[in-house]
Amino acid sequence: MRRERLARLRHHMAAQDVAATVLLHDPHVAYASGHVGPAVDSTHAVYQRPVAVIGHEGPVHLFTDHPSPDLATEIHPSVFPELDESVAGLVEAIGMVAGTSGTSRLAVDEVTGAMLRSGLLDGFDLVDAGRVLGPARLLKTEDELACIDRAQRINEVAMEEVRTACLPGVRRSELAGLFSSRVRQLGVDDVLIDPIFQPMPRNLSDGPRTSTGHVAFPTGVGDPLFNEEDLVWVDTGIGVEGYASDYGRTWVVGRDPSSAEQGLFRRWSAVMEASLATMGPGVTLAEVGRAAIGADRGSVPWLPHFYLAHGLGVESAEMPMVGTDLGEEFDEQFVLEPGMVLVLEPVVWEDGIGGYRAEEVLAITDTGWRPLGGWPSHLPFKT
Amino acid sequence: MTTELVAARRRRVLEAMSEREVDALVLGRQDNVGYSTGMARLWTSGTRPFGAGCVLMAKTQRTHLLSSWDAGVPISVVFDDLYPITWNPKIMASSMAAIAGLSTARRLGVDACSPSFIRAAARFAPDAQIVPCDDLLAQVRTVKLVEEIELVRSACQVAWSGVEAVLDRPDDPTPIAPALVAMAAQGATIPSSRPVVRSEGDTTVVDLGVMVDLYEGGVGGRFVDGRREHPPALVDACRNGATHEDLARSSTGPWLVRGLGMGYETPIIDAQRGQDLTLVTGMVLSVTDGDHRDVVAVTTGEPDVLSTPPYPTSRPAGSDA
Repeated sequence: MRRERLARLRHHMAAQDVAATVLLHDPHVAYASGHVGPAVDSTHAVYQRPVAVIGHEGPVHLFTDHPSPDLATEIHPSVFPELDESVAGLVEAIGMVAGTSGTSRLAVDEVTGAMLRSGLLDGFDLVDAGRVLGPARLLKTEDELACIDRAQRINEVAMEEVRTACLPGVRRSELAGLFSSRVRQLGVDDVLIDPIFQPMPRNLSDGPRTSTGHVAFPTGVGDPLFNEEDLVWVDTGIGVEGYASDYGRTWVVGRDPSSAEQGLFRRWSAVMEASLATMGPGVTLAEVGRAAIGADRGSVPWLPHFYLAHGLGVESAEMPMVGTDLGEEFDEQFVLEPGMVLVLEPVVWEDGIGGYRAEEVLAITDTGWRPLGGWPSHLPFKT
Repeated sequence: MTTELVAARRRRVLEAMSEREVDALVLGRQDNVGYSTGMARLWTSGTRPFGAGCVLMAKTQRTHLLSSWDAGVPISVVFDDLYPITWNPKIMASSMAAIAGLSTARRLGVDACSPSFIRAAARFAPDAQIVPCDDLLAQVRTVKLVEEIELVRSACQVAWSGVEAVLDRPDDPTPIAPALVAMAAQGATIPSSRPVVRSEGDTTVVDLGVMVDLYEGGVGGRFVDGRREHPPALVDACRNGATHEDLARSSTGPWLVRGLGMGYETPIIDAQRGQDLTLVTGMVLSVTDGDHRDVVAVTTGEPDVLSTPPYPTSRPAGSDA
């Protein structure tokens, strides 16, 4: 997996005439080097960040004091790109592959204040590292797919258990604690997002106010106490070897869904089925979007600030994305290929009743698609 | 967190901008955004790619905030000063262009940036020089306000509830699981650091860190019979005026003294780093020596230990008393 990823990365470096790539963003470092750090707060991650420097030949240079085991990289002591006192180490690191005179093109994903002050990147032609990593990351290897599949299955098991604890009088934080502890017991250390269990309004006019006129999700605001009337959108994600899962469902609280809520689920299922029926290699993102819209009587069945579908890999939302504000032209030009991963997350809404949202993860294959994860029931909704 | 605290922090940032003649401050780091605006965005682990999380304008004193809704947005930010999340760089550039005064800014402060942001800024603020302001934020945040110290103190108590849950279940095959449940019972579901739990004979080594209401709490130590071993001398050495040499002399094992507030902060002082740094009153520090970790506020006298155990400290483990 690591060798293939590096080969892909270097292929895109060469194609874009990039002499060296300097990576500070955790998922980028993980992709290029295989090193996966712990899922900690961004402030801890920033000050303790590993850095990877990649040239066209030789090993990846990884700067960290706590490397993951069995890396095929050359490991160096940490450089601290946040600190002015560490700039000399960074200069040396970049010099290992890019030379010290800056006439060449350098891909970098973040420029810290210390890097700006030092002028160490002055003279280089800087481009976003996303330009070489993005296309490399689009197509997953079998190993990458296996990591996502495993993360998704563990996520599913944990959430199905948490669902039975989502009862009147329980708080969001209790469910989040239960989820995180259950995931640990299932052998996974990394919870990548503060678990979301958000009771949703029944009418858009109930608020919050949004820029799109649609519903606000996920807000991460407060610590709601659930009651029997609630319709709860849930969303969680964990990491296996740096690869993310993404689990979304709609729950009711200690009761069966009403017939109107069940009707929402039927509508959502029709959108999901139509999207899946279209899915496969050679299909454009626009075709998938049109199938979803067609199945929901012409309404746009996804959250307008997000998408109908997004990719999944070392980050929990990456390319390809269907139905974003990148616009129709983007979706028309983007063609699905085997090895791409999509998370379909249609949302159907009916004012007065509310909304149903759930997510399913799949990989594009040579002939169509296959699920990643076991795709469990949508209980308590009846299929 | 009170609105007074949010306002006080924001005022400090705006004053520092004025001193450094920064016209507009674009912040990408979640902790800097939270400090300057009071916005608590949905937590995700690890580093985030740089993006404009908020923009503070010196002239108008307005805060422009990345959010597609008003949920969780502090009352000081009006709806019209929100700009939406987007996947489209052109839409983000228009959002920036629509911020009053940004197009004529001369000095554009950032806490970090990216090549594409530098390119975009050349268009939406063509006369602006990009000025690194990570140090401006770090300086503002170093000396804590009284309410911040109390928020850290209560976050440390949440961490202790996790420690006690670990010690109460010595045979749990997943010792961290009960800690996560116990801290969540206090409403805290965000880990700050990687949790540590391991057994060495009769001793249990625990280190837990947690984010509560945007502030970090943490504690660590070696526990025997449910009691922590004596704090090392390094904790007491964290006083106003203490130098790198003072701290190094007081340490007994691998050590780290670093800022703690809205997460991991400066100063960062250990055997290799921070040789020129001196502690000052009002700093809040996470102090690690070997397996022991306390959180202290620096005063002119004895440090105010914010991570005091929830039991009487007169008889720690290993005490002959």
